Amino acid sequence: MGLIQRMAEEAGIPTISMGNVADRMAHIKPPRALFVKFARGSMFGEPGNVKRQRRIILDALDALKTMTEPGTIQELPYQWKRPDPE
Amino acid sequence: MPIDLEKFKPAYEKWVKESLPDYQAGKMKEIIKKYPFIVSDGVPWTPYKGQPSEQTFALVTSCGFYLKERQPPFDTVSIHGDTSFREIPKTVHQEDLAIAHSHYDHSLAEQDINIIFPIQRFIELEKENIIGKVAETHYSFSYVNDVVTLVTETVPKFISRIKAEGVDVLFLVPV
Repeated sequence: MGLIQRMAEEAGIPTISMGNVADRMAHIKPPRALFVKFARGSMFGEPGNVKRQRRIILDALDALKTMTEPGTIQELPYQWKRPDPE
Repeated sequence: MPIDLEKFKPAYEKWVKESLPDYQAGKMKEIIKKYPFIVSDGVPWTPYKGQPSEQTFALVTSCGFYLKERQPPFDTVSIHGDTSFREIPKTVHQEDLAIAHSHYDHSLAEQDINIIFPIQRFIELEKENIIGKVAETHYSFSYVNDVVTLVTETVPKFISRIKAEGVDVLFLVPV
């Protein structure tokens, strides 16, 4: 996935990706990414948490505007089965 | 190229030979430890310009989704993985999709595809004009080890598709 992202950026298409394993992200070096503390196969948290899914996408839209350095990774504060911060 | 193919190819061929018994025994941690990750030092970058409300977004997932009535599943047996992708229409519903990927637990995504492919949330944001347009087509990949075929054949094809579709921004959700 990291290679697809890198090739899209090379081809002139801005991208944002998600990740949940810091070591793997260090290897892959995604151009722009959000880091979440969720398990594999559930990058947006628990099934049915619509509000959180929406919030993460809005975080990504913000990150597109605010990330100006190649290779920026932003950690998101959400936790499994815990209420989201205000 | 995001990897040095001349360096990667022999390292990958050696890895396939050495890791096949562990792969067949399902020792995934062992084979990942030995995988020859070779990524170029620099980070490619296209500056983001404009407003989401005026742009077209496409989703990319590596969760192994395919349309169960119309598309073949991904190869989940080969050590090389499967370098192909499936096109998933914007109009897709949970019940249209199946997952072909042997290396993660699908049970949560089977309850709600949006935790790995948040298409419904994107459509809501499009209706609210927070994003301009959700592309008509989105892209699903699966487990891939053969990144030589991926970067020389599959990704160039994928990029020409998204360019033809007028995609402005890609949102990638790996597993």
